[in-house]
Amino acid sequence: MNGAGAVSAASLAGRRAALGMWVFLATELMFFGPLFFGYGYGRLAFPDAFAAASRHTEVLLGGINTAVLLVSSALMACAVDALEAGKARASRRLLLATATLGAAFLAIKGIEYAHDIERGLLPGGASPLDSGGRIFFLLYYAMTGVHAVHLLIGVGVALAFGFGGGRVAALSEPGHLRVAGLYWHFVDAIWIFLYPILYLVGRSG
Amino acid sequence: MPTSYLEEGYTLTSWLTTRDHKRIALLYLVAITAFFFIGGAAATIIRIELSTPAPDVVTPDTYNRLFTAHGVIMVWLFLIPSIPATLGNFLMPMMIGARDLAFPRLNLASWYIYVAGGAMILVALLLGGVDTGWTFYTPYSTLFSNSHVVLSLAGVFIVGFSSILTGLNFIVTVHTLRAPGMTWFRLPLFVWANYATALILVLATPVLAMTLTLVAIERIFHVGIFDPAMGGDPLLFQHFFWFYSHPAVYIMILPAMGVASEIIPCFARKRVFGYRFMAYAILGIAVVGFLVWGHHMFVSGQSVYASLVFSLLSFIVAIPSAIKVFNWTATLYKGSITLSAPMLYALGFVGLFTLGGLTGLYLASLALDVNLTDTYFVVAHFHYIMVGGSVMAYLGGIHFWWPKISGRMYPEVWGRAAAVLIFFGFNLTFFPQYLLGLHGMPRRYASYPDEFTLLNVLSSAGASILAVGYLLPLGYLGWSIFRGERAAPNPWHATGLEWQTASPPVKDNFELTPTVDRGPYDYAPATEEPQ
Amino acid sequence: MNFYRRNLGIGALLLLLLALTTASAYVPMGAWNGIANLAIAAAKAGLVAFFFMHLREAAAIVRLAAGVALLMLAIFLTLSSVDYLTRHSTAAPWQNPAVHGR
Repeated sequence: MNGAGAVSAASLAGRRAALGMWVFLATELMFFGPLFFGYGYGRLAFPDAFAAASRHTEVLLGGINTAVLLVSSALMACAVDALEAGKARASRRLLLATATLGAAFLAIKGIEYAHDIERGLLPGGASPLDSGGRIFFLLYYAMTGVHAVHLLIGVGVALAFGFGGGRVAALSEPGHLRVAGLYWHFVDAIWIFLYPILYLVGRSG
Repeated sequence: MPTSYLEEGYTLTSWLTTRDHKRIALLYLVAITAFFFIGGAAATIIRIELSTPAPDVVTPDTYNRLFTAHGVIMVWLFLIPSIPATLGNFLMPMMIGARDLAFPRLNLASWYIYVAGGAMILVALLLGGVDTGWTFYTPYSTLFSNSHVVLSLAGVFIVGFSSILTGLNFIVTVHTLRAPGMTWFRLPLFVWANYATALILVLATPVLAMTLTLVAIERIFHVGIFDPAMGGDPLLFQHFFWFYSHPAVYIMILPAMGVASEIIPCFARKRVFGYRFMAYAILGIAVVGFLVWGHHMFVSGQSVYASLVFSLLSFIVAIPSAIKVFNWTATLYKGSITLSAPMLYALGFVGLFTLGGLTGLYLASLALDVNLTDTYFVVAHFHYIMVGGSVMAYLGGIHFWWPKISGRMYPEVWGRAAAVLIFFGFNLTFFPQYLLGLHGMPRRYASYPDEFTLLNVLSSAGASILAVGYLLPLGYLGWSIFRGERAAPNPWHATGLEWQTASPPVKDNFELTPTVDRGPYDYAPATEEPQ
Repeated sequence: MNFYRRNLGIGALLLLLLALTTASAYVPMGAWNGIANLAIAAAKAGLVAFFFMHLREAAAIVRLAAGVALLMLAIFLTLSSVDYLTRHSTAAPWQNPAVHGR
């Protein structure tokens, strides 16, 4: 890097950590890749079945969840900016709010899953769905499931920074929180795509 | 005298909790060597079986498990980590003038993850192994195989994360830790090669992870996108799998090319010909290597138009490789050549890689591939590149940097003898396999028609020579650790920052961060000679 | 306090786009529904990336990393599609007609 002498060691470390997180997010994007392609395959092979299956998803809960995640992203951004501006206490409160919203998302998702299973919307077994519908729901559970696991980790990280900030050195560093924020926003960005492709197909049919 | 990194603590704990990239490199070296010989043992039994036409040494089912074990271990537990995790880990920081990688603790974590995944694969092996081939094709792996598929998949999944983290570490290191004056075009080609490899590791491996997960889900829950009866498509698996596995072969060859680019200038006492083109070629191979995976699927049912596109791209990817071969050759021209052990390995690498690469073009031609696919021609092709190429370069690199790593010289006579024996044994093993493939002998078969006997016997004979050749370095390198002549900091009079450190180096590599003011390969004309 | 306004403003914009994508899904536009939804999703993701993830003021290498990741995903999806879009699949007589797709 073209480091001029006056740049602090902490900020260089911060830049390394940020680049490291972006590279990691690149791997996460590729990790979702096959699921997106599988979805594309299914949509191409079974356009009507996909539309019908998508209509079975609960768009109200899905929409609320999307809103929850979008707001949480805004709050996380505020938390990071607050810590960088020296407002540690405000930052921690914002982090706990972010974590709460993340947990709310997971709770609502859980309720949705319960409804889905109740209605027999399963990719296998004694499901009333046809082949295309089963593939849709396999991808639905796979994509939202993998997303949920990532979100759970994010909630954990947000709680760690929210409670540990000011007490544990590593959890009080603005550079570290910024990197954690990147992860949270990525998880949000993935959901931004999952929502329309899973919930909004064939709604006008 | 300042303490070397080897003397910073003698306990097992000091090794298992180290953050020193050099020690971590040695941890990898030990593990990788062990896996190499386990994979080699599987190959030995395979070649014994194939010395006679009848399936009389093992049952066909066991044979399937053997070639699967050989493939899984050699690809994921040996070749993919080999140069990057040993030589790369050891040398990258030193070559750019840094103290360590960007994330030392992540580096150690990578090793533990690798060992965990490797252990899981070994457990699967001990429980009876898996019989799907290292390629795990559906629907056999999802619906019909009665072997430990899920356990093996889990092991590979875990090992994949180890390589992703190593790649991440390398990328951030090269971008952020270069010493003052070390611009991109002053980097040694070994660094370029490992950087490009890291890009592939990071972008391709996650796709494999998800693919293996989907196979496991399909196998366990009987739902999925690969089963035609359920509306799925087995080719979906092949697209996903090869999207990773083709770039994976570039993960295996690029670092080898980097090693060759370090050894050849040193023992020709001449700077690399066309340095910039070499660097661009490395990037070109990495990029275009992502675009050719469909050439593994020409007869699978893929559309002809897609096959055409992939065939064309596969021809194109040969171009940067060819540029590199020309440039290595041009580097030798009017050089002052010493046929040391590393140089023998490097020259062997160039020749065998060229042969293997050219046969890749045969396979990239659609019409030819219809006849050659799934025959021993393919087996010979990839062994020429992966063994004749990567393994020879790996051994060359181990020998070249051995004085730096261990502080000892290996016995040069034994080094040269082993290199020649390996070269000879390798060609005897694998050249007949080209002919077998042309004559139509299929791969992954435990038995064959009588008319293929002679070529198979020659191949197995070659394998026995190759085995001896591989055991020799294990012996004399091990010996040299205790009895070898102590090495000077720069016994080969090579350029490169790593040779500016002690042999072996101190923990932080450099006393003071170096400043770089010249390009790499600043070799003087033929007045100065290496020892 | 400036950053509250900025972040919450972007958040409000995101919620607006959410409303837009959901509402437009109920308007019969045929193939354009899907395209519109993806375009709006891309816009939302872009806002998150450029503002919340600070991609706007990030170093060149970080932007390159993000760009390469997207490019790689695009290559994966596109080149695989070359196969699927150019196949001529016909059902065998014994195959479930609902299964064979196009």
